[in-house]
Formats: sequence, C-alpha cells, structure tokens
Amino acid sequence: MVKYAIRKLLLAIPLVLCVISFIFLLVELSPGSVADKFFTPETPPEVRELIIAKYQLDQPAILRYFAMLKNLLFLDFGHSMAQERPVFEIIFESLPNTILLSAVTLLITYPVGILLGSLQAVWHNTRTDAAVSVGALVLYSMPNFWLALMLQLIGGLYWTGWIEDLNQAGTLSDAAMSYLTLPLSGMADPYLEIVGASPWEQGVDRAKHLLMPGFAMGLAFSGSTARYMRSAVLETIRQDYIRTARAKGLHERTVIIKHAMRNALLPIITLMGLSVPFLFSGAVLIETVFAWPGMGRLILTAIYTQDTPLIIACFFVFTLMVVLGNLAADLAYALVDPRIKYD
Amino acid sequence: MSLRPVLALLPLLALTACGGGAPADKPTEGGGAPADAGPKTQGTLVAAVQSDIGYLGSVVYEAAADSQILTNISFPMVDPEFDCSLKKSPGLAKSWEWSDDGKVIKMELRDDLTWEDGKPVTVHDVAFTYELIADPVVASPRLSYIEHAVDGKFPLVVDDKHIEWHFDRAYDRDTQIAHVGMALMPKHVFGDADRKTLRGNPNINKPLSYGPFRLANWKPNESFVLEPNPQFTGPDDWKPHLNRVIFRVIPEYSTRLIELESGKIDFMESVLVEDADRLREEHKEINLVRRGWRSNDYVAWNLSNPLFSDKKVRKALAMAIDTDQIIEKVLTSKTGESYARRSVGTITPALCGVHNNDIEPLPFNVQKAQKMLASVGWKDSDGDGILDKDGKKFSFTLSTNTGNKRRANSAVLLQAQLKQVGVEMNIEQTETNAFFENLRKRDYEAALGGWSAGLFVDPASVWGCDTEEKRNEFNFTGYCNPKVEELISKGLDTPNPKDAAPIWKEMQAEIYDDQPYLFLWWMDEIVAIHNRFDNTHIDMLSRLNRLHEWEVADDKIKYKR
Repeated sequence: MVKYAIRKLLLAIPLVLCVISFIFLLVELSPGSVADKFFTPETPPEVRELIIAKYQLDQPAILRYFAMLKNLLFLDFGHSMAQERPVFEIIFESLPNTILLSAVTLLITYPVGILLGSLQAVWHNTRTDAAVSVGALVLYSMPNFWLALMLQLIGGLYWTGWIEDLNQAGTLSDAAMSYLTLPLSGMADPYLEIVGASPWEQGVDRAKHLLMPGFAMGLAFSGSTARYMRSAVLETIRQDYIRTARAKGLHERTVIIKHAMRNALLPIITLMGLSVPFLFSGAVLIETVFAWPGMGRLILTAIYTQDTPLIIACFFVFTLMVVLGNLAADLAYALVDPRIKYD
Repeated sequence: MSLRPVLALLPLLALTACGGGAPADKPTEGGGAPADAGPKTQGTLVAAVQSDIGYLGSVVYEAAADSQILTNISFPMVDPEFDCSLKKSPGLAKSWEWSDDGKVIKMELRDDLTWEDGKPVTVHDVAFTYELIADPVVASPRLSYIEHAVDGKFPLVVDDKHIEWHFDRAYDRDTQIAHVGMALMPKHVFGDADRKTLRGNPNINKPLSYGPFRLANWKPNESFVLEPNPQFTGPDDWKPHLNRVIFRVIPEYSTRLIELESGKIDFMESVLVEDADRLREEHKEINLVRRGWRSNDYVAWNLSNPLFSDKKVRKALAMAIDTDQIIEKVLTSKTGESYARRSVGTITPALCGVHNNDIEPLPFNVQKAQKMLASVGWKDSDGDGILDKDGKKFSFTLSTNTGNKRRANSAVLLQAQLKQVGVEMNIEQTETNAFFENLRKRDYEAALGGWSAGLFVDPASVWGCDTEEKRNEFNFTGYCNPKVEELISKGLDTPNPKDAAPIWKEMQAEIYDDQPYLFLWWMDEIVAIHNRFDNTHIDMLSRLNRLHEWEVADDKIKYKR
C-alpha cells in the first residue's frame, strides 16, 4: 500500500509541472503586467527601466520560465511581486481558512446527503422519495452563489428583523437576541476580539460565522450526494446477503445501517476525494459573497494583479490538494473494503 | 468506527487554533507618560471597505484603505479643507511663506509631535521621506510630487524647526503645497531598510502613528481597527471622540448593502441610485449623504481612427446623443432626484473658481446632427438604415469595462440613440485591467470610461501632446492641440490661482470645442452613514474626513464596550 501511495505521489509531479506551465503560459498571454500599477504619467523613463528590471520583465518569457522551474526544484516559490514578501507566507494566511470552510462544508454535505439518500432508497418509489428527489435536484442545480445571496437575505435581513421585533415586543431578551443573530459575512466579529470578549463568546461567534457559508456550499453538494447514496443503497439492498440478514431475523434498522449503508458508502468515499477541487473552486464565489479570507479570494486577487509567483504557488497548492484528495480516497477505499489490495 | 469522535472534534480544534491576525505592536520603548487623556471616548463606528490594506508607508501606498489609515495615523503637514478649492491651515507646518519668485517655500514646523514609540517627529523625518520618494529604486507612485524639485533642496533643512522647499519653477501654489504635504515615514525605523524591497519590509504594516489614531489591529483580508493614539501630543481638538473605528473588508457590493440594512455596519460608500431610493424609504436610521462631483463618465473617440478624426463628425455625434435622457434613466431616483449633471470637461464643477460654467453643452438635435454628417459625405445611399461614405459604413465598436452596471446600461442607450441617426455602434465589454491597458495603448475605436476628479488643476496628463521621448499614456485619444498646450503651460506657470483661472477656463472651452471626448456627466457619490453619528464629515476630501471629530451622543451608543 505504501508503495502504491509513493507511486501515485511521484506520478503527481509531471501533473503539477504541466499545470504550472499552462498557468504560466496563460499569465504571459494576458494583457498587462504586474508592473503596470507602478506606471503613472509622470514616471520618468529611467524609473520605468528600473521597475521592469526589478520584476525581470525585460527578459524573454522562456528565460523566466526556466528560472522559475529551476527555483521550483529547490521548492523556492519566490516572493510575491505585488506584496514583496514570500509567497508561502501569504498562502499560509489564507489556506487554513479555506480548509476550515471546506471541512465544515463536508460535515454538512455528507451527513445530510447520506441520510437523505438512504431514506430515499428505503422508501423508494413513494411520494416522499419523489419529493426529496425533486428537492435534491433543485439544490443541485442552483448556482451556489445565488443560494449564498438568498441565505444572506433570509438569514440576515428577515431573520434579524424578526428577532429584533420579538426583542422590541419583550419576548426575547437582549442576550438571547445577540445569541440568535446570524452573522452575514466574514470569519469573526472584529469587535469581540478588540474589546477582549471571553474565548467562549469568541468561539460561539466563529462557529456562527461558519454557518451561512458552510450551508451555502454544503446544501448544493448534498443534493448530488443524496442522489449517489440513493442509487448505491438501492443496489446494495437487492444483494443476497441483505436477504440473508433479514432471513436471520435481524431488525430492519440493523440490516440497513450495519450492512446496506456500510457497503453503499464505498462510492461515497470516492466522491469525497473527487469533491476537493469543487470545494476549492466553488469556494471562490462563496468566499467573495461572504467576505471569507480564503484561497479563492487570494487566487482572484493574484490574477487581477498578475502576480505570477503568487498565481503559480496558489495553483500548485490547488493541484496538490486535488492529488492528495484522490489519493486519500483511494487509500480509504482500500481500508474500508478488504477485497481491494494495492501493490 | 473509533474515528468518529475524533473527526467530530477536529472543527472545534480548528476554531480555537484560528487565532487572531497581526495585532500591531504596542510601543516598545517607554516614551514617558502618555499624553493628556483628551475627551471621554465612546461609541464604535463599523465601516465596510472593498479591499484590504496594501502598504502603510506614505511613500509607497496605493490602495484606498491605505490612504484612509495613513491620514488618521499622521498629523497633516498642512490641514486641508475643500471649499471650491483646497484651502490650507497650519498643521505640522506652523507657518509658511513663498519667496517673491514663487520658487521657494520657507516653512516653520511644530516641534511638539512624537511618534508612538516616544521619539520626536523632526525635520529629518521630513527630509528622509522625500529622499525615499526621490530614490528610483523605491519606484514610488508619488514621483510627480518631486517633478519640479531642486535636487538636495527638497527639503533643505535649515535648523531643527525650519525647512525650505526649492522648486525649479513657480507654479500653482495650491499644487505646490499639496506636493510638499506628504505624510511622514520615520527615519529611525526605515533609515537602514533595504529600499528595493521596501514594500515587503516587516515594519511597513506596523506603522508608528504620530496622529490622533493608531492601527490597533489588522487581520489580513478580514478587518483592521483604528483606536485613539494615547501617545498623541498634538492639539487637544484633534483628540478622537470615538472608542474605535472598525473597518471590515467586504469585496462584494450586495453583501455590504445587506450588512448595512441589517445594522451590522454603519458606513458604506458608493451606494447605487436604485438602492438609495429603497434605503430612504425603508431605513430611516440611515442618512444618505451626497459627496460631491467626484467622478465622471465619458466616451473617448480614438482620434487616429478615420471615422472620428473630423471635428464636425464628433460634434454631430455629440448632438445625436440625448445625454439628459440617459441621466434620467440611469442616474435619477424614482422621486426625480438627479445624481448627475452634464459634464463639459475633466475639471470638476466642485472647483467652482476654475470650472468654466459658461460652456453650453451641445444641444440634443437629431436633424442638425444628420445635416452635419451629410455635409461631410455621410449619407445612407443604399437605404439599409446605416450611413455610408465611399463604400464604408459608419459602424464602430464601443468598448467598456465589465462589472459596471451603469456603464453597461448607458452603452445600450447610446447604441439605441445612435441608431436613430444611422450610426451603427457595437458594444464590447472587456475585463477592467485589459480595458485600461487598451486605452493606454490606444487600441480601441471608441471607449466608455471615466475619471476620478482631481482636487487641483492638472490637465497635462490627460490633454498634453505626446513628445518625442514619451508617449502621454493617459491621453487616451491621442489629442494634440498646440493652443491647448500653450494654455496649459501658461496656466501652470501662473502661481496665483485667481490669475490662472481665466487661462483654465479658456482651455476648457477650447477642449470642449474640439470634442475629443463626448463628455457625458459628473456623478454625485452617495454615502450611507448611520444617523447616530454626529459631527460627521463626508466630503470631496474624504468619505471619512476628520474622523477624530466624529462622535456618538450618550443616549445613542450601540456598541457599549
């Protein structure tokens, strides 16, 4: 198994190189350059030359490409051109935030999807099944940034208005109102930190900030997960060993949960590994709408400022996440299913 | 599966692990006892901004957020006020006077201001700041400030309290003062810094304050907070009245709007006209302030394109457009309140002494437009509804940038109006950076763009001719009128603004007659602010001007801590 993992990781290297080369080419082909923002009408020609030399833009693209590859050999991703500090320092400010949001999204997507899918399979061809199917399809088809805006509108404006009215009417205390208020954007309320609120209060605040973006991303994915789970469970409960389990006199709940669902989880594990790129790319829009300071926004900013080292490093991290996600799915699959053996 | 409980705990671990960002260092060296406490502070202002801090050094900053912070953590060299023009009161500079030839400014500085770490703010900090600007390795965006500086004498340090600024020519005095009024960078912190990577210097975003506020906290891409500077030794009336000002970075307009309406933020800039209407009806607790004629929109004609090289054609096109109608549809509220006015140039009407109010915008007159076009040979000879001449159709592409709803809507209206006179206009939307790149390279046919108003007159960058050595990149149309060149030169050489005004007015008239742009409109920016704040200053100078004077009354405090 270890050999398998190592082999997969080694194969990832040419993949990463291809992606990086492609991105480099795209950045080169796009108009403008990072130095543009330094040019004002009054910039004297000598200063222009200096700026261009500073970013090595006077060298032909092919030379810069090979210089970049050479640095990458030593895992030196260089300094951001726009911010003039090491690229990985910038990435490590944003990466944990995206991972946190992705983790919460997975926590919402999979339990909801698995539960719904299993229930649908157990009650298949009933009206409940049809209703949930339609619901799942609607969630799946909705653009997740639209869902994000709707959540903000309902969870923000209407919900806040409603609990404020209850507070005015005296039904809800001030403390309860502040607990129930849902934050609409950001990771945390800067006010709480600056006034030195208790760690509990800050923790609750951070958890609340995860709700809306997590649901915006999670609900959309849970629709597709439910569909997969439904077919997987349906296929599993037709198997002979399920009939045997029932014949043994086991409780139906035990049959479904201990035998059917467990086996139906195999395709779901594969799905989890494959969902990593979607989590990252979907995150760009969600992060913008919810002002979440993650990798999505970082990539966007890097692209707009044409900051090549930062763009390359971001896509490198992205590609690495995809490779690791797939590898984790493969390994988990082998762990869960004793029939699978890697060599 | 024993993994389950561990998996459940992971997010909680992550929550606690995600600590705060980079709190700005507290002053490390004891600078003696803090200055007088100042007025009792209360209340918090929460503002939403579009983008994060870039670099907090006055010599290298570019982002809007940078400017906001730098203004509040420094004490201005000259205290500006805008009322028809930039007026200056003493600040760090106690007094100043010009030499008779207008080429030297002698200044006396206050000596009672200190940096947050207790070290005094001295003339050497001033000299150092300008030394940094002049150093080409730094690549400062402020190079234009020293364009007419005499090397080594900008400033010339006479003694601990007196400096002199030597210029190689006399020009408009308001502009001269603006050029010597930079916020300072401390020499004792950056004196030995590597100038090539100044922007990446770790001290750049931990700035030392010498103004009423200090940067108390910055979480990259999330928020930054200003708090009163306890070490501020400036005048008492500059001491802040608020506990803090929190800036939240929210890039998306609709998110900012919803936060404003939910009461989670108190301040928002550039509210769209449609939303302003709704806010006025549904949220009486929000004041909507009109900031002034700060930006304009225009259609630039590429003068090297044969379609637009004839002045008569450009004038005809101007008369074929019903600009008032577009203003009514795009920039007027439901209640009939208009947030735009016709533009006749790139000098804002807010500069009332200089703006030429006598220029009559070309009237909307379709018949006259058609006659003018016909007089230079544009007729619809093949009956297809589009004018043609020598076998070529009058058809062109108008480019504009994406992400701007107002310009997108205006372009469609322009298209419809031009169709009436037989001109075919296609619309092309390009990503903003690419769009401006094309403008600078003059790679377009016609372009719908805009300018932000300058607070002092500086027409050379937009209307000056290309020279042998340098193409004037911001002269997007390739305009060159020797008479205008002469007027610009004369105006820049006239130090007294009152004498220069008629020259600028003549220049505006001349440019308007040439119609290198179809000047569309000046827009009034709408800023939303919660009405619990008193003594607010939202004006041409800044959306958050004189933050130290903003306050909340005892009975209106929302954030109690």
